[in-house]
Amino acid sequence: MPPGAIEVERATKSYGARAALREISFSITPGQAVGYLGPNGAGKTTTLRLLAGLDRPDSGSVRLLGLDPVRSHDSALRRVGVLVETPGILPYVTARDLLSHVARVKRVAPSAEASQLRDLAGKLGFLDQLDRPIGSFSTGLTRRLLLAVALVGDPEVLLLDEPTLGLDPAARADLRHILRELRRDGRTLLLSTHLLDDVEEVCSRVLFLRDGQIVGDEAVELRPVDGAGNPLRSLAIRFARDVAEAELRAAVGAGIEVEPRGPRDLRVQFVGDEERQAELVATVVRSGLPIVTVADGSPTLGQRYLERVGREDPP
Amino acid sequence: MSDVARTFSLNAQWELTRLRRSQRIWLLLIPPVAGPIGSAVADLYLHVPTRATAQILGLLIAGGLAGLILLDLVALAVGEDLTLRAHVTFFALPQSRRTLLAGRLTVVLGGAMASYGLSAVLVWFASAALVAPNPLILPIFDPGHLALAVPGFLLFLAGVTAAGAVFTRTASQGLVAGVLAGVVVAGLTGYLLAFHELTALFPVLLAIAGGGAIGWALDRYPTLGA
Repeated sequence: MPPGAIEVERATKSYGARAALREISFSITPGQAVGYLGPNGAGKTTTLRLLAGLDRPDSGSVRLLGLDPVRSHDSALRRVGVLVETPGILPYVTARDLLSHVARVKRVAPSAEASQLRDLAGKLGFLDQLDRPIGSFSTGLTRRLLLAVALVGDPEVLLLDEPTLGLDPAARADLRHILRELRRDGRTLLLSTHLLDDVEEVCSRVLFLRDGQIVGDEAVELRPVDGAGNPLRSLAIRFARDVAEAELRAAVGAGIEVEPRGPRDLRVQFVGDEERQAELVATVVRSGLPIVTVADGSPTLGQRYLERVGREDPP
Repeated sequence: MSDVARTFSLNAQWELTRLRRSQRIWLLLIPPVAGPIGSAVADLYLHVPTRATAQILGLLIAGGLAGLILLDLVALAVGEDLTLRAHVTFFALPQSRRTLLAGRLTVVLGGAMASYGLSAVLVWFASAALVAPNPLILPIFDPGHLALAVPGFLLFLAGVTAAGAVFTRTASQGLVAGVLAGVVVAGLTGYLLAFHELTALFPVLLAIAGGGAIGWALDRYPTLGA
């Protein structure tokens, strides 16, 4: 079996008495885009630091493209782009100075260096700022520059920690577009973020982290299935008055799962296509139950985040 | 080119870019410009009695100026990234962190040494031109020995500053460590001179200690990502 692009096996990391990671394990196959979600202090940045070779696990192992990022630092990181934490940048150097240095360290061919820097700066919207000192950049522009640093050398794997932090909505949308393109090109992405929109738009899989432990590993577009593995459709129905579960169950008949979500809110789940769904809604209307709204009842990523991780940040 | 040589060369170039962009590179002009001028002014207005004494005075000025510049450049070469947390970007690149630092240190240490060397040569000849020799008055020591001892002192300062910056993870604390080390060495030199115990061993020991401190800094630097 070929090695995963990213493999973490029972990795543990503590800082003093505080356990930042507790035996976490996951594997990401080449080409997969994975969101890494969790509250502050859950261990997201620690995981990325281990993968970037900035730190080593107390026990367990981490591997990038089959290599240990600490022992085989140079080989492992040659094909990897990293944006971890919010690194400072020397204010007096220009963006071109920094990107050019990174390109040389990453062994970008001298003939391709200038065009690659221009392309990256163009994509990320700072082409006309390439020769300005970085100290004059706004927070958002600095973030885009740091992302460009990670993208230099056309890396196979990208480890990105809050890449859209500090960006305005338009810049965030542009960046998400770039990340989607990278995913389409077959790049492996591990995207640590607080922003669920970013994960929903870019990633196919999501890992939930809480208190240094993986508490969920699932597809971003999760469709619930019945006992036989058939995909379930889910509708959230709001009524104009209180409706008992039994009342709705009597209206829709057998084979439909009914779940109360509130006095006037119920969710129904069933196996079937869009026609079956339209038929079901018509049946409820014909039964005389006063429907106000019908919406997709599949749990959103936000709801799943709250279910897995909870509302509170860890102590 | 081997990986080590390549990383060394790229980071030496990066340090040059930093010096150029921050304008710090102009500091290296101070010893060769201000050294001979300061020395000449002192020679003429203090009526220095012998050429050898004038050369000693000039070399002390050149060495002192080079030392101050060296402190600043080494502290920033080692500690600026750590202070700004810019090292996170460079540590995550495929390069040896030890070689990275060696490349940067070579530029600032070499630059300061070259600046001192040029200043020393200019001071030497300026003193020779401005002050007449007087074989009846002996200098406190041979100025030639001082000219060779100053690089040992500079290496010591560089080592203490680099080690201080690595230990405290800041440029400013590294600079303070270097200044304190300079004061201690100046005091010790005065003491040894007063008791006629200043020998060639002293600058050699300083150079060895400085080299050791640089070695320690190079050894510890890669672990600072944690």
